[in-house]
Amino acid sequence: MNREINHEKKIRRRTLVIGLSKTFFMLLVSVKLFYLQILQKSKYGKLSDTNRIKIKILYPERGTIYDLYNNEIASNKIDYQLSIFKDKKNLINRYINKLKGHINFSDKDLEEIKININKQDLSDFITIKRNLSWNDLEFFEFMKNKFPFLLITKEKVRNYDNEMIFSHVLGYVGFNKNIKKKKLSNLKVGISGIEKKLDSKLLGADGWIKFETNSKGIVKKELNKKFAIPGGNIKTHLVREIQEKAFNEMQGINGAVVMIDCKDGGVNCLYSSPSFNNNEFSDGVSRERWNELISDEYNPLLNRCIAGLYSPGSTYKLITALHAIENEKFGKNQTYFCSGHIQFGSRKFHCWKKEGHGKLDLHGAIMKSCDCYFYNLAKKIDIDKLASFSNKFSYGNVTGIDIPNELNGIMPNRNWKIQNRGEKWQRGETLNSAIGQGFMLSTPLQITLMTARIATGKNIIPSIIYKKRNFERLNISEENLNFIKKSMFSVVNDNNGTAYNSQLTGSLKMAGKTGTSQVRKITLEEREDGVIENEKLDYRLRDHSIFTCFAPFDDPKYSLTVVAEHMGSGSKVAAPISKKIMQSALKKFT
Amino acid sequence: MIENFIKLKNLNWLFIFLVSFLSFVGLIMIYSATIGEESKIFISHIYKILFGFFLMILVSLIDLEFWKRNAYFFYLIGLILLILVFFYGYLGKGARRWINFLGYNFQPSEIMKIFLIITLAKFFDEKKIREPRDYLFLILPIILVTIPFVLILIQPDLGTAMLILFVSIVIFFMSGINWKFFFFSGLCTIIITPYLWGGLKVYQKKRILTLFNPESDPLGSGYHIIQSQIAVGSGGTFGKGWTKGTQSHLDFLPEKHTDFIFSMLGEEFGFLGTLSVIGLICLITYMAYDITGRFIHNNFNRMVGIGIISNFFFASFINISMVIGILPIVGLPLPLVSYGGSSMLTYFIGFGIILSLDRNQS
Repeated sequence: MNREINHEKKIRRRTLVIGLSKTFFMLLVSVKLFYLQILQKSKYGKLSDTNRIKIKILYPERGTIYDLYNNEIASNKIDYQLSIFKDKKNLINRYINKLKGHINFSDKDLEEIKININKQDLSDFITIKRNLSWNDLEFFEFMKNKFPFLLITKEKVRNYDNEMIFSHVLGYVGFNKNIKKKKLSNLKVGISGIEKKLDSKLLGADGWIKFETNSKGIVKKELNKKFAIPGGNIKTHLVREIQEKAFNEMQGINGAVVMIDCKDGGVNCLYSSPSFNNNEFSDGVSRERWNELISDEYNPLLNRCIAGLYSPGSTYKLITALHAIENEKFGKNQTYFCSGHIQFGSRKFHCWKKEGHGKLDLHGAIMKSCDCYFYNLAKKIDIDKLASFSNKFSYGNVTGIDIPNELNGIMPNRNWKIQNRGEKWQRGETLNSAIGQGFMLSTPLQITLMTARIATGKNIIPSIIYKKRNFERLNISEENLNFIKKSMFSVVNDNNGTAYNSQLTGSLKMAGKTGTSQVRKITLEEREDGVIENEKLDYRLRDHSIFTCFAPFDDPKYSLTVVAEHMGSGSKVAAPISKKIMQSALKKFT
Repeated sequence: MIENFIKLKNLNWLFIFLVSFLSFVGLIMIYSATIGEESKIFISHIYKILFGFFLMILVSLIDLEFWKRNAYFFYLIGLILLILVFFYGYLGKGARRWINFLGYNFQPSEIMKIFLIITLAKFFDEKKIREPRDYLFLILPIILVTIPFVLILIQPDLGTAMLILFVSIVIFFMSGINWKFFFFSGLCTIIITPYLWGGLKVYQKKRILTLFNPESDPLGSGYHIIQSQIAVGSGGTFGKGWTKGTQSHLDFLPEKHTDFIFSMLGEEFGFLGTLSVIGLICLITYMAYDITGRFIHNNFNRMVGIGIISNFFFASFINISMVIGILPIVGLPLPLVSYGGSSMLTYFIGFGIILSLDRNQS
């Protein structure tokens, strides 16, 4: 009996043990549920959203850039792109192999895919092919069901209708290397030129679409979307016809063409030769092509207009002359005899015309571009004063044009020589500087600006972006300016002028100045044996041909400079090109 | 006939209500799970519930004596069915678990659980172990458990096999045998575990291993656990709303109308929903305990009751634990809630026996 009671107790005890362990099990489950659903709710909520919600970034349409006459010079084209869900990226290779027979994947495409796969950005899609053709699109329309994780999207990408023509001034767009905006890895930003300078205005703001997809990656519905805000449009002073003319005239010639509107400082033309195709960059340039461009001996990516440095040569004589009569009380009627060279100290300084110009006054010296006259004039002036006067005409300073990477060139003076060469200034160097040779270096834009400021007597500041502006007068006497301008008139219109062959046809007159920018030093021996003709020299050692001018003479509208690298004297190449460009510009104007 | 009506009237209708309510929860979850797909599954589930309910009432009218008398016979039938499955079973999801019975696919391992419980109860009721030498008798019940256990394990159906083991342990425990037996059994288990491990299929091993680190293989076998936890966790306090679960309806959650139905419940009804269902399960378990607890002197009745209720409880616990990442994914439906005929009918039969117990008492 006792045993029975013991047994009964045991059973009760064991029932309790089982009951308690079950209670413990359910408590365990409840605690885990509390942990999952209450404590970790936000974590799992997010995970469930990442499962189902796929984000596609909508890239904004870049603002359009217009020329002065409202022609589109940078616009956008539709680009059909093929993308894949990011979490299905392990399928990419299989898909590409399947697609290969139907869609052409270039090496560039494959290279791009490799980069895109590893991009950490906001989008849940990876672009695997840009620039789909109509055939490609048709193919996908039929095969949609076989590739459930692929998506065709329509993007707007930068397109330059006049490729090559505006490449330097407009610049180009490319993928963002900025870490801050890395979240939008497919966003193209301005890399150079206007595109870079006004990037924030042109860019716009991105939007997105949120899709709901199931576990197989099939899009069930569009949840919501934020439209991209297109970038702002920009109007410029550039004129397509002039830019095109410059492009055509500079075929086969390296150099620069810069034209500035003397009325408002607008840059009508800024063309650097050789050019490059900026659409290539907009589509995404391949590494090989990039290396090819970088290592090209003529450096097509360099914007020679603002970053090409040349000795201004004889064009600088205008400033030397103006300085002399304005500040040094140098008489306009002062004459010197040019025998082809002058002796200064122990050195002999040569005129470009070996047999000499004979007796000349200042007007004649400018017209005929006599070096000897200016050597003599230079003996009377001080380099520091000349340099500070030249600064008024932008030499040695950046002009402040509204595109990046402008160089300021060199306007030497005593201080500069000591700082940069560690030597004292030699008097003879003033002679070289007076004719725009020696240490002096300037950009084609600076030369153009000099001409514009002489033509108007105003402190013109160049601008590519369209603005209406007025400029203050330079503190220089009208009489002296007119003297220089008349001399420039004679250069082109007097039959003794160096650019007589390049005078305009028609009633409007042009005034200008030739320049020949020496690249090499002519040795004493060579002088005695006769200077080697330009054509016989190695290309790299030939002189640069420079011409700067303004027109119409009576009411200056355009100021223009043409630099033709290694093409010999200014009168031979740069002046005839200037004439053609000026002629077409004036046709547009009148 | 009149006698039967009186029997019906005396049934524990509160218990019937709780059981029905749990299967109603299953019904609305299966409605949500199959929404947008063909309604065949939902309709079939309604029929199964109605049939199960009928079966439960029918069984409740049968006296326990009937089961006790025929226990070994039923056990034999169950065993024959399991052997038939082994040879002629219908193959599905990589396992041979079903046989075709009058056009219906039927899973003998489910009903075998009930038969085993009754058989073990009968055995321990007749063979009372009092003296140490009586332990030799234990060889027989161990064999009774081992044969179906192995047959089910090789189907392979790890979930049901484990469940049979758990339930058997509970009955052994309740039979009053000395705790030393469990101690030595445990020791033996630890020793033979490495050999058992070697016998597991690769996918089963993987499932067990990924339980400990599901993120190690997010797209492989860890996928189910991760997606299930995301579903449950993202439900939060109140859930995303009925038929609004994104994890379930966008197919991130696998097997949402069978093994993972609890995850879907968690996603759509939140912590309140999961806690209510757990509460309901506990309430049913408690009531059944209360009923069986009255049979302090009737070993057979008591052990059958505790066996059946443990079967229900452990199946629920294993299912919920696996979908929330406490136990490995072994593939076991949630009693009365998951879609699946054999399993549900077995639980209804089980509750019928509990009701019969209750009726006997009163």
